[in-house]
Amino acid sequence: MENYIEDIKLRFDVKDIVSRRDNLSFITCEKEKTIALITHMKNNLGFTHFVLLTAVDWIEDGLFQLTYILNNPNAKIDIAVRTMISRENSEMESAHKLWQQVATYQRELREMFGINFPDSPGVTDNFILEGWDDIPPYRRDFDTKKYAEETYFPRPGRETNDPAEYMKKKLS
Amino acid sequence: MAIRDILTPFTAWKKVFREPVTVKDPLNDRPGAERYRGFHKNDLTACIGCGSCEAICENEAIDLVPVEGIETKSGDSGLRPLVDYGRCCWCALCVDVCTTGSLNLTNEYTWVTEDPEDFRFIPGAENKPWDKLEAGWKKPEPNYEFYSLKREAMEELHPGDRDKSFIEIVKGYSKEQAEAEADRCVECGICIATCPANMGIPEYIKAVRNDDIEEGFKILYETNPLPEICGRICTHKCETVCSVGHRGEPLSIRWLKRYIADQVESSEYKRILGTDGIENNGKKVAVIGSGPAGLSAAHYLSLMGYKITIYEQYAHAGGMMRYGIPEYRLPYDQIDKDVNYILSLGVDIHYNTQIGKDISLADLKEKYDAVFAGTGLHLGRSTRIPGTEHENVYQAIDLLNKITDGKEIHVAEKIVVIGGGNVAMDITRSLTRLQNQKYGKVQMIATALESEKSLPADVEEVVEAREEMAIVNPGWGPKSIEIKDGKITGLHVVKCLSIFDEEGRFNPQFDENNTNFFEADMIVESIGQGMDISYISGDIKDSLKFDPRGRVTVNEYFQSDAPWLFIGGDIIQGPDVIHGIANGHKAAYGIDNFLNQNK
Repeated sequence: MENYIEDIKLRFDVKDIVSRRDNLSFITCEKEKTIALITHMKNNLGFTHFVLLTAVDWIEDGLFQLTYILNNPNAKIDIAVRTMISRENSEMESAHKLWQQVATYQRELREMFGINFPDSPGVTDNFILEGWDDIPPYRRDFDTKKYAEETYFPRPGRETNDPAEYMKKKLS
Repeated sequence: MAIRDILTPFTAWKKVFREPVTVKDPLNDRPGAERYRGFHKNDLTACIGCGSCEAICENEAIDLVPVEGIETKSGDSGLRPLVDYGRCCWCALCVDVCTTGSLNLTNEYTWVTEDPEDFRFIPGAENKPWDKLEAGWKKPEPNYEFYSLKREAMEELHPGDRDKSFIEIVKGYSKEQAEAEADRCVECGICIATCPANMGIPEYIKAVRNDDIEEGFKILYETNPLPEICGRICTHKCETVCSVGHRGEPLSIRWLKRYIADQVESSEYKRILGTDGIENNGKKVAVIGSGPAGLSAAHYLSLMGYKITIYEQYAHAGGMMRYGIPEYRLPYDQIDKDVNYILSLGVDIHYNTQIGKDISLADLKEKYDAVFAGTGLHLGRSTRIPGTEHENVYQAIDLLNKITDGKEIHVAEKIVVIGGGNVAMDITRSLTRLQNQKYGKVQMIATALESEKSLPADVEEVVEAREEMAIVNPGWGPKSIEIKDGKITGLHVVKCLSIFDEEGRFNPQFDENNTNFFEADMIVESIGQGMDISYISGDIKDSLKFDPRGRVTVNEYFQSDAPWLFIGGDIIQGPDVIHGIANGHKAAYGIDNFLNQNK
C-alpha cells in the first residue's frame, strides 16, 4: 500500500491520506486532477477494477464529496479517491471512458444528488425516480417527511398517543 | 397451427428424470447477515414508551399505543411502539435512538401472511417467530450515540473552600454548558407527569438549546412561579425517570431550570411575562403563610385579578425555603428575587403576623372572599427517648430557623444528629460549618434508622456532608441519651433491621445485641416535622373533616368542607417545595371557580 501512496504523492498533489485498514486507504485530490489520478491508477498502478462511485452532501460547507473506490486485484488493496466539488451548479468530468459501468453510477448521482456529468451516456435518463418533480432526494435540504406527508395518504384507522399527554391524563 | 407447436410441449417430458438445476424453496435456510436489518423485536419490560422511536422515524411507520397488561406509571407511559411495515424502510434509526436499548432489529426478513393488516404489529407483544433471535441490527457500542450519555459536569465549590462558610456551593451552568446539556434531551416528556407541577420540561430545555431564554422563562412561569428556588433545591423527581437516564446519566433538569432563571434580570420579569397592568377584579383573597404553596397561590390568583394579602408569621417571606433550607444551598437573595416579583404584582404581605394570635381565621373569613392556608410543617418531632428533655437536645428545625435569623445558637464540640432526611443533612452540614468556624475541626455524626441504601435524603446531600467531614452512619435506632453529672455524653443506639412491617406500617425491628455508642455533648433531632393548625378552631374546625393523620380533608382543588377555606402545601401533601407550588396553583383555580360560582 505504501508504495502506491508514495507513487501517487510524487505525481499528484493529494492530501488527507487516511489508512483505514491495511488494505484500504483514502486520499483526497482536487477536482481538476481527479480523473487524471484515477486514470494513472488504472493504467500504471494496477487498479483495474472500479468498485463504486458515491457522493456525500456537505451542505454546511456548500460542497459535495465524490468518492471513487478502486481495487487492485493483484495486490488485493483498495484506494478510495475523494474530491470535493461545489454544491452550486455541481458538475464533474465523466469517468465512463475508463470503465463504462461508471456511467450508471453517474446517472444515479445525477438523479439523487443533482450532480451533472456532461457526456456521460444516458446521464439524464430516469434511474429509479420516474416522474420525479422535486429537488434531488439525497440532497440534505430535501425534506423527506414533508414530501411523504404531501405525496402519500395515511393508512385509515391509525392512531397514536403523545407519551406526555397520555401520562398526564392517566396519572392525574 | 404447425404440427411442431403441438408436439413441442411433450418434448419437455424427456427431461422429467433429470437432476433439477434449480434450488427447491430457496427461502429456507437463507438467513440474513449477522447485522441484517429485519423485523423488530422489543423487550416490552425494558421499554418505557418514551416515543423516541416514533419521533425519529422519517417514514412515520411507528405509532405509540397502549398494550394490555402494561400499566401507565411514573417513568413509563404504558405505551409501546406499533410498526407499520408498509412504511418501514428498515433504516434502524429507531433502534439507534432507543433510550432504553429495548428495541432491536432481528435478521429475519421473510414472513408470509395473506392479510396485509398483519404487517402492522407491536413488536414483542405478539409472539413472532423472530422474537428470540439474537442476530440482527443492534446499536453499535460504544461511541455511537445520538446524544451524550454523560452530563455536563456542574462546577461546585471544593469542600475545603466551603466547609467554613455558607456561600452557595453550586456555581451554575455557563451558556455553553447549558446548551450542551440541553442538547442531550430527547424531548420525550416522560418526566412531565412525574413533576408534581407538570412543568413543561422538554419545552424549556428546548428553549435553552435554542438560546431563547425569554421563551424558556415564560414556560417556567406557566407552572412554577419560583424558578430560582426550584432551580436550586427542587427534589427533582423528574430526573429519576428521565429516559436518557436508562443508559446514561439523566438530564440535569434542575440546573437547566436554574440556568434560565439566572439569566433574567429582575427588572425584565414583567416585560417578558407580560404582567404589567393586570386589572383588579375587585375580589380579595387572604393567603396564610408565604411558603411555596402560599406564594404560588398568590401568584396565580394575582394574574387572575384578585387582590391578595399574605399573612406571614416570620419577619421574611419564603417559609421553610428560607427558614429550613441553608443558605449554601439556597441563597436568600435568590429567594427574594422570586418573592419580590410576586409581591410586585400588587400582593400585600403582613410580616410577623400569626393567625390565631394576631388575627383570627374567623376575621379573615369576614374580611376576604376566600382564604388559602399553606402554613407548613414547623414543629419538630421528638424521638422521646430517655434524655431528650435535656437542654442540649435540640430540634433541627428550630436551629435552622435561628441560623436564618442570624441568631447565635449553641454549637458543641461533638454533635450527633438523629435523622436521615434532607432536613437532617441540612442541619448536619450547617453545624459542621459552625463547628469548623468555632473549633477549627468537625466532630459530627449523623445517624438514622434507615440503611445507607434507603436514606430518604438526596444522595448528593449525603455525599457532600461526608466531603465536609461529617460522619454519616445510618442503620441505627436511638435508644437513650446518656447524661452524666448533668451533661450529655452521647447517644446509645441499637442496630435497626427493618423499619416497616409487611403491611407497610412504621414498625422498626432492632437487633438488641448489636449496640453502639456515639459520643456527643449535644444532640439534634431531625426525624420529621409536624403541623400546627391550632389557628383552625371553634365553629370553623367543627365544619371540617380530618383524615386519620389529622390532616384536613380537601377536594382535588384543595377546597375544605368550609367552601371559602382552601388548604395546601406540606400540611396536605409532600413535604416538598414542588408539591406546594402545584397545590397553590391548583387551589388558585379552585378559588377562582368558587368565587365565580358566587357571582
